[in-house]
This record gives sequence, C-alpha cells and structure tokens, in this order.
Amino acid sequence: MFINFVLSAFGAMEEENVCSIYANQVDLGVEKDDVGVRGDRGRRFWMDISINIYLIQLVHGLVYGMLIFLVASGLTLVFGMMGVLNIAHAAFYMLGAYFAYTVAVYLGNFWLSFLLSPLIVAFLAILIERFLLRKTYKAGHLPELLLTFGFFYIFVELVIIIWGSNPLPVPVPALLAGDVPFMGKTYPIYRLFILGFSCVILLGMALVLMRTQIGIIIRAAVSDADMVDVLGHNVPVVFLGVFGGGAALAALAGVIAAPFLSTYPGMGMDMLLDCFVVIVIGGLGSLWGALVAALMIGALQSLGILWIPQLALVFQFLLMAVVLIARPTGLFGEKE
Amino acid sequence: MSRYGAFQIGGGGVAAVLLLFPIILPEIKIHLAIEILIFALLAVSFNLLLGYGGMLAFGHAAPFGVGAYAAALSCNHLPGMPLLVTLLIAALSGFVGALFIGFFCVRLKGAYFALITLAFQMFLFAAALKWRSVTRGDDGMGVVRPELYLPGLGSISLMNIHNLYYLTLVLVVVGIVACYLFLRTPLGNAVMCMRENDVRASFLGYDVFLTKLTVFSFAGLLAGLAGGLFVLFQEFVATTAIDVNRSFAALLMTVIGGTGHFLGPVLGAIFYTVFQDWISSLTKHWILFMGILFVIVVMYLEGGLISLLKWERIRVWVSGQKE
Amino acid sequence: MVILKLDDLFKDFSGLEVLFGVSLEIIEGECHAIIGPNGAGKSTLFNIITGIYKPTRGRIFFLDKDITSWPAHKIARMGLSRSFQIINNFPRMTVFENVRNAIVSRFQRRFDWTSFLNRSKEITRESDHMVNLLGLTEVRNIPASELSYGMQRKLELALTLARDPVLILLDEPTAGLNAEETRIFVELIKQVTEGKTLVMVEHDMEVVFNLADRITVLNYGEVLATGTPNEIRENEGVKKAYLGRR
Repeated sequence: MFINFVLSAFGAMEEENVCSIYANQVDLGVEKDDVGVRGDRGRRFWMDISINIYLIQLVHGLVYGMLIFLVASGLTLVFGMMGVLNIAHAAFYMLGAYFAYTVAVYLGNFWLSFLLSPLIVAFLAILIERFLLRKTYKAGHLPELLLTFGFFYIFVELVIIIWGSNPLPVPVPALLAGDVPFMGKTYPIYRLFILGFSCVILLGMALVLMRTQIGIIIRAAVSDADMVDVLGHNVPVVFLGVFGGGAALAALAGVIAAPFLSTYPGMGMDMLLDCFVVIVIGGLGSLWGALVAALMIGALQSLGILWIPQLALVFQFLLMAVVLIARPTGLFGEKE
Repeated sequence: MSRYGAFQIGGGGVAAVLLLFPIILPEIKIHLAIEILIFALLAVSFNLLLGYGGMLAFGHAAPFGVGAYAAALSCNHLPGMPLLVTLLIAALSGFVGALFIGFFCVRLKGAYFALITLAFQMFLFAAALKWRSVTRGDDGMGVVRPELYLPGLGSISLMNIHNLYYLTLVLVVVGIVACYLFLRTPLGNAVMCMRENDVRASFLGYDVFLTKLTVFSFAGLLAGLAGGLFVLFQEFVATTAIDVNRSFAALLMTVIGGTGHFLGPVLGAIFYTVFQDWISSLTKHWILFMGILFVIVVMYLEGGLISLLKWERIRVWVSGQKE
Repeated sequence: MVILKLDDLFKDFSGLEVLFGVSLEIIEGECHAIIGPNGAGKSTLFNIITGIYKPTRGRIFFLDKDITSWPAHKIARMGLSRSFQIINNFPRMTVFENVRNAIVSRFQRRFDWTSFLNRSKEITRESDHMVNLLGLTEVRNIPASELSYGMQRKLELALTLARDPVLILLDEPTAGLNAEETRIFVELIKQVTEGKTLVMVEHDMEVVFNLADRITVLNYGEVLATGTPNEIRENEGVKKAYLGRR
C-alpha cells in the first residue's frame, strides 16, 4: 500500500509488482538494501539522508494523506451522523479505482472516469443504503456492522472475479505525465496533481459545509440527528445524500489513486485500515480531525519508512494505541 | 417420548456416528471431518466473543495463527517435546496473545473493537510475513507430525489419519465442552451480562474490563488450540493461518451457522467446510456465494441456519442451556 | 452518621458549566430528595457521584472514603447502588436472571468459574426473594424487554436493591408512570427501603413531600436550600425559583 508509492517514487518499482502486504501476496522486500532509499548500499544512518529526501518523503506523505482524507471524510461523516461505520466505504474507493482502470484502458480516456466512476459508485451506494442497509437500523449496531462488512466482502470477491487478483496498472494520463524538478531531484507531476486536486476538493467541501444551507444541515445532523429531525428536515434523505456523496468522493479518490498505486484487490482493506486509524485518531464525525490525522498518518508512514522500513507499520499502530488510551474520543472528537 | 429422552438418544446417535466415522467414511472424507472439527472449535471460540459476549472481533485469526506458529516452532525446534505439551503450548500462546491484544482492545466497543482487533491481526500477519528467519514468511514451514505418546498405549503414529481424527475429535470435544461449562458458571453469566448491558453491569459492581479481557483470553486459548491442531493436520503452517481470510472465515462460519445457539457455530463450520469442498470443484468463486449467503442471513435470518432446525426458540439460547 | 458527603463540587463540560460548588451531606437512614427545575444539574450530580463523570473540582466522600476518582464498579461494590431514569436492564434475560446478576455480584461471585450458577441454592433463593419482594413473581420468567413499563420500573428498583446497598440513589423512579401507578410505586418504595438511606431525584412534588425527610433544591447547578419539607415550602428563594412551576 503505502510502501508501494514510496518505492515507486524512487523509481525502484515503477508501478509493477506493486502489491499490498495485506493482500497475502508478494513480500515487497523492503528490508532489502537495494531500494535506494538510503543512497548508498548499507549506509543506514538517518543523518546521512539529506534534507531533500526528507522533504520529498514528506510531500509523498502529504499526497497519500490527502487521499486517505478524501475517503475518510465520507466515512467519518456517516459514522458521526448515524453511528454506522460503513466498512463497505473502502470498497467504494476500490470500485472507483477499478472502474477507472476499465474506462481508461477500454475507452482510452482517463478523464471520463472522473465523471463516471463516482456516479456509478454513488448510485450503487444509494441503492444499498435505501434498500438494504436501512433495514438494519432498528436491529442495532451489530447487524449494521455485519451487513456493511458483508458488502465489503462481496465487493472484493466480485472485483477478483471480474478483474482478477493481479494488480492492474493504470497509465498516468498524458497531460500529467512526466516530472518536474524539485529539491534537486525530479518529482512526478501526477503526484502534485493529486495534492492540488485534493486541496481543491477539500476547499469545495469546506465551502459547502460552512456556507451553504445544506452544509449547515449536514453538520447539525452529525452533531445531533434527532434534533435536526425535530426541526423538520428529512433526516433519512440528508443521510442518503451524505452516504452517496461520501461514496462518490471515495470513488473519486480511487480514480485518482489508480495511476499511482495501481489497482489490486487488497487496496480496499489497506485503505480501510488506514481510514480507521485516521478516524480513531481524528475523532468521530470530525472532518478537521480526519484531515489532521490523515496528513499525520501519511507523513508518519513515509518518514517512518525512511528510518526503519520494517517498522513503518508499527508507528501508526503505536500512535493509534496511544490515542485510544489517552483520549479515546480522538483528538477532535466529541464526547459520546 | 420426553424431550429429554429424545435428546439423550439424539446425543448418543451423534456420538456413535462421530466415533465410527473413520470406519464408515473413505479416507478423503476423514480429512474433511478433521478440518470441520478444527474449524468448529475456532467458530465456537469466536461465538464465545460474539454471541455470548457481544464482542465482534474481526481479527480472530490472531490467536489461531499464534497458536499455529507456536505449535510449528515447538515441533521443529524442540524435538522430543511431547505432542500434548506442544498443543498445550499452542493453546497457551493463543491465550497470551489474546491477553496482550485484549488489554488494548477490550475497552472499546462495536466497530472500534472489531477493527482494532483486525489491526492487531494484520500487524501479526505482517510480522509473520517479514520475519522470515523465524516463520519463513509466506513460504511457510513444514511440520512433521510427532508421535503421540500415551502411557499404557505407547507411541501412536499420527501418520495414520484415523489416529489423528480421534485425537482431534477428543481435543475439540474437550474444548467445546469446556466452553459450554464455562458459560454455565457465574463468570460465564457475567460475560453474557456484558453482551446485554455492560454499563448496567458495571453499576452492579462488575468489572467490565476484566470480564471482557477474561473471555477474550479464553477465546484465544481455544483458538490457539485449534491453531495447533490445524498445524498438526496440515503438516504445514504459512501466513494463511493468520491472515484476514482466516479471520473472516471464522466470522462467516459463525454468523451463517447462528450466533444465538451454542451449537450454531458448529453447524456453520460444517456447512462452510462442506460447501467449500463441494463448490470449489465447480467454481473457484465459492467465496462470493458464502458472502451473499452471509448477507442474506444477517438481513433475514438472524438466528442463522441453526434457527431453521430448532423447534423452540424461547430464550434457551440466552443461558446456553436447556431447561 | 454521614453516609455521603459532597464537598464543593464543580463540573464543567468543555466550557459548559453545570455545577457550582455543590456541597451536601446525606445522613444515615434518611430519605433525601433532590429537586430542581430541568437543567439544574440533578442527573449530572448523580452521574458524578456514581463515577460516570469526574468533577472538575471538589471531592466526594462515601463512608468516609474519598471516592472522587473511583471507577463505577468499585463504587458500586462499596455499597452505593443507583437506578436509572431511562430503563436500563438486561433486555433478553428474564426478570429472574436480571435480579440474579445483581445477587451474584452481591455475593462477590462475579469471577467464579468453578461452580455452576443454577446449582447455587443460595443465589437462587436470594434472587427469588428479591423478585417476590418487588411483586415481580408472575413475570419471573419473562424477558425484561417484554415487560410492561410499570413492571420494568419495578425491575429497575429490584436491580438497585438486590445488592443490599448502603446507599440507594434513585433517579426519577416514577418517571413515566401515571398517577395511580405512581401511588402504588411510592408505597412499594417506602416498603422496601425501610430503614435504608435513600437519595432521590424527583419531579413529582407529591412523591417528594410524601417520602422525603429532607430536601435539597438545586437551581442552575447551585444548591439553593436544604432542609425539611416544611422549611423548603416556606423558603423564599425556592418559591422564586419555582415561580409558575408546580
């Protein structure tokens, strides 16, 4: 997952053989020295790594962090509003990426998937919520959780059936291909695009939530859904909208991620765990929390890889464990 | 015939069938039976958490895998270790692993709890994958089945699949019965209080953290034992023993079988294993069917498959006993 | 003898201040009612005493022990028992099993893994005693979630009393009951809490003046007055606070 793009950043494994450690596939061999992370073979001391590489790694981290944020934002809003942790949300991300692959490869146009993927996925999400998920609200959180898990599971299997279990690389669109000089090395334009585009979306979200009527209703519903209901707003419809919108956003994130992470069946699970860590740290229902936590996790992972690759995972678990013990509601969360 | 009488005869019949399996079944089916037994134990331990404790854990492969690896390492690096001790090591490793993980997880509830157990399991998976010097990563380690030494009967070779079947049968039954008896003690009752209303329980003086940690560890003990038996059966252990598919298999089996009844998971394990065996020769996408069935059960059949068999549903399941 | 002592309690929830310097002493054997308009902080007070929240400032002494930072279960084990305003029982367990949970706790056998629960005659006997005492005998084997509201209220009381506590906290015990049911319930409370120390939050003034030995009036998180029912009735400050209210 995360390790992939770090490696590909240094050209070591350019979008091939890029697998998730979670997907029970090929070991990335990060413990080998030939990754080039440290410049010379065998020289591991962190001081030897120039500040440039740190900065580039940091940018990587921010890029990936923004991606996580795009997915986690929908998840945390839905969780905050209805107490449902939609595990299938990560599957929406995965589906977005795979649809992007199909559109890009078979229709030859990557940009089309920007439009199509989110729409298709949002439609799917709305169908699921309206006809299937809604039935379990009365039954309590456990059936909800099991159901969303079930959907996640089914989607992953469907993906394997339709697209196979091998990673499918998605070509970077011609417009954004190539590198740009940055800090003494070159940096892929596409990644900067991801960063920029995510920021645009973030701004868009902020504007909608802060300035528009519907945004205010959504924020209110996250805080206190019952109150909003009493005030006369149609809460189920608002929820449906947030659910679908979040799914569309996750799919969009998948589309963007596809060219540089490529698509693989384990990507849903990877993103799920990253999102979960982000939500735990950032706090339920808090978008700011999700943003801060996502960027933190991204940076932590990418810098962690520099120092001790084998333990890159440990950092985020440690952080999550610390947060859970010290401040269970998350950094920005509200008391339940 | 009284219900109690019917129950006696039914139980006796099942016992007879189980004991006679090696004689009446072809060898390939005995392998299947052993696999079913092992997964039945895993599923029962999972349901201890879910159906009785109200704790949904997505990472239940963790103690299973830890037990499996512990057993494998014991067989390979400690030759001469009696088999039963090896299995004890497997169970205890599962116990300790669950104790450690539970310490961090058990204070949480619902989705948080489910996913954090998954996170720990993933972490262990990554550790198993990368720590090649010890675990051989995803190549896995082969294990030679040690001989079972019983005083009075001498050395019994487990290469004879019948012997392995009986050993597995005995240990799994012991594990399942232990679980059943546990649920009838006050501590077992405390676990069920956790499921019903852990907040109220704490106001009655129950230490929620300790109670949940205890049941989590006990479930880990049983899962660890299942892991050890699994290694014995497969003569091999790889990261598949501790990966996410294993966790999800336990979940699917238990939910499909039925979380509301003590034997529900057993039925689920039977169904899952037999179905996989049967369908996978027709299509390799049997997992999808399993997933769809899972969703159907969650939405329309809360009691699981076993609720289709029971003729009375009055609260018998709450106390896990017939009265 | 002072059973419970609240010493200058303050509570604020991230800026929202709810309690200001609440001090109170509960004397053994009395029935002490806490009343006040909605939002006065009564439930918060209960939650702080029973260990759900920690006060921002101030201390709580129960039987001369400082329980301010104790977790809920530890406080409960010391003999402080509370009921809930919103029904809070073990829904799928029967009435008998519900009460039994409390009895098991009373006998400190929560962690007993060496005996069978339904073989324990002592626990069964005590549980049945409690069930009968509260008039729940007919519904002994019905799951709690299937009971009528009035029965559930009784069960709530049973759970609170089953531990044979030193101090009983009742949070709006008659909430949701109609006048007739309330009357009967009050009689029941009187009967079963004979000689015990009781603190009660209530809105129904009739109930309060019927049961209470002393009353504390809480208003906007502050103690307005403490005294016997007559003293409170005459108190000017209280009358002002309750202007227009029942």
